[in-house]
Amino acid sequence: MPSSFRLALAHHAGNLAGKVSRATGRGRGETLQGRVVLAVDSGALTKLSAGRDIVLVSGTNGKTTTAANLARILQDGTEEFVSTSKYGANMRAGIAAVLSTKPRQRLVVLECDELYLPEMYRQLQPKVVVLLNLSRDQLHRTGEVRKVAQLWKDTFTRDDVTLVIDRDDPFLEYAASAAGHVLRVSFGGRRHPDAATCPACARLIDWSAGDYRCECGLGSELAQVRGDQRLQGPGRNAVLAIEAARLMGAVVPIEVQQELTANAPDRTAEYTFGSHFVLVRLAKNPESWRGALGSVTCDEVILSVNARGIDGRDTSWLWDIDYSPLIGRRVICTGERRLDVAYRLHVQGAEVAVADTFDNAIALCSSPRVEAIASYTAYQDLAARDMGISTTIGRD
Amino acid sequence: MSALTIVRLYHDLLGTYGDQGNAEVLMHRARGRGIEVELLEVTPGDAVPTQGDIYLLGGGEDGPQTVALEMLAKDGGLNRAVDSGATVFAVCAGFQLIGATLPNSQGLAIDGLGLVDVETIYRDVPRSVGELVITFNGDMQEPILTGFENHQGHTRLGFGVQPLGSVISGVGNGVPGRDAECVRPEGVLQGKVIGTYLHGPACARNPQLADLILESAYGELSQYSDEFAEAFAAERRTTLLR
Repeated sequence: MPSSFRLALAHHAGNLAGKVSRATGRGRGETLQGRVVLAVDSGALTKLSAGRDIVLVSGTNGKTTTAANLARILQDGTEEFVSTSKYGANMRAGIAAVLSTKPRQRLVVLECDELYLPEMYRQLQPKVVVLLNLSRDQLHRTGEVRKVAQLWKDTFTRDDVTLVIDRDDPFLEYAASAAGHVLRVSFGGRRHPDAATCPACARLIDWSAGDYRCECGLGSELAQVRGDQRLQGPGRNAVLAIEAARLMGAVVPIEVQQELTANAPDRTAEYTFGSHFVLVRLAKNPESWRGALGSVTCDEVILSVNARGIDGRDTSWLWDIDYSPLIGRRVICTGERRLDVAYRLHVQGAEVAVADTFDNAIALCSSPRVEAIASYTAYQDLAARDMGISTTIGRD
Repeated sequence: MSALTIVRLYHDLLGTYGDQGNAEVLMHRARGRGIEVELLEVTPGDAVPTQGDIYLLGGGEDGPQTVALEMLAKDGGLNRAVDSGATVFAVCAGFQLIGATLPNSQGLAIDGLGLVDVETIYRDVPRSVGELVITFNGDMQEPILTGFENHQGHTRLGFGVQPLGSVISGVGNGVPGRDAECVRPEGVLQGKVIGTYLHGPACARNPQLADLILESAYGELSQYSDEFAEAFAAERRTTLLR
């Protein structure tokens, strides 16, 4: 079968599968569509990326938001449409779906899962790769941070790609150490909680000066861009997105830059449950929990924790977090692993209640405005429920 | 000086899997009984105090594990404390480094601290990752212990060395002991030194194990019940044994 015909067939079959999936309320269709495309043409990724200018966004925290921000400023700043995922699909099938969806724009922004990045890097030949951070996440699946950094370092050896990295993260600095072109952004003043020793040579890293520079040389490359030290994770990621957009030829007006870095949004959603207004923040790992806890303002807070595959099946990371922002507030724990988080908070001295469902957690609240922090599948379940889709995302 | 001193060793290096929480749970359960307790935090470069009652080591990545081992071997404080009768609770990388030998990050065997007669070997098998359920090797009102394991090395117990328990589900030590009495051993229990692959943290998921550690350092404990701890431990046991 001619290659172009196989690809066309793959596209139509995938498109149909996606429509069926959406029409039957089984999901958003992107992943199924991509799976069918790849089943019909296993070489589809390389073919679909040929002649296109692709940016990959990866890292532990903020991939979806940063990819969405980048797609928006790239579109506005080049006056060209950009192909991107609407739902944060970031593995092989989801990426195939984005690439096969017509119209196939020249510019493409793709979020990419950390473990799929080497394969996507090789198959899609991106122009720019944005690396946000590497921190502990889903240890049962991704393994330890150092192993991911090593996998990336072994991948980034070409010189026709530019990596955009937050160089304050020693794991990213190590991952980029064999790459041809690196745009380093530094914000300063942060100590990486997982980097007590050097990812390159395993010596103890001296962080006493508020920065790192190992005897082996890691950390000695100067940053080309200095960001504002006061920015939190989403703001820092917005700066990386702006730099990537510029590399792709976009003009990013100063007011857009200010707006993005000032109000860089976390993944949040707002729902109404009876007489309660609930602001839900997505927090997937210790790093994003710290950010979410720092933003809490309400007197009543619901924590919803699951440990399905994509959440990380091991919940011991709950003990990596300092919950002092919750002391003095009323905390209600729900989700499949509510007892794990409830005991953790109890030991820290928080006032804790437990509810078996999110609705029952809401029923325990007395104030009209409530905040919630939800793990990945707990957050997605709330979104799916709001859309009227019956699903249990990622259940093992 | 407090009635009980807990020493947490290098939690920056050996804190990848939340095991630092063991210190918080032990303190919570001691204070709940009215026992005055203090925590000494040892960071790289500090001398290891020898007057502690309970020494805690956690899990970490290969490189930091080797750095921690080198510092502990050079300092000698932990070995002296054990000679004087201190309790040790060491998890995963911490368990491996208190043994006789273990692989370094290149897979070559290096000397451990030798606090227990176990040797950890590298085997080219899939990493042991998942829930781990064991039966405690001794008298305990609730003998089922649970946790989450995540390790590459397998650990062989020496002749006459007792495990912490026997594996019901999961991998645990991964190889039978030299005595081969216990076919599927998990961890080690030698005097007041305990090693295990149970993360969770183990003391949070198993209040009876936390009390065993406290008791070995403090002596007989008064009755104490914590409904959050009991509910959490029971939920894990029930779910995993279902």
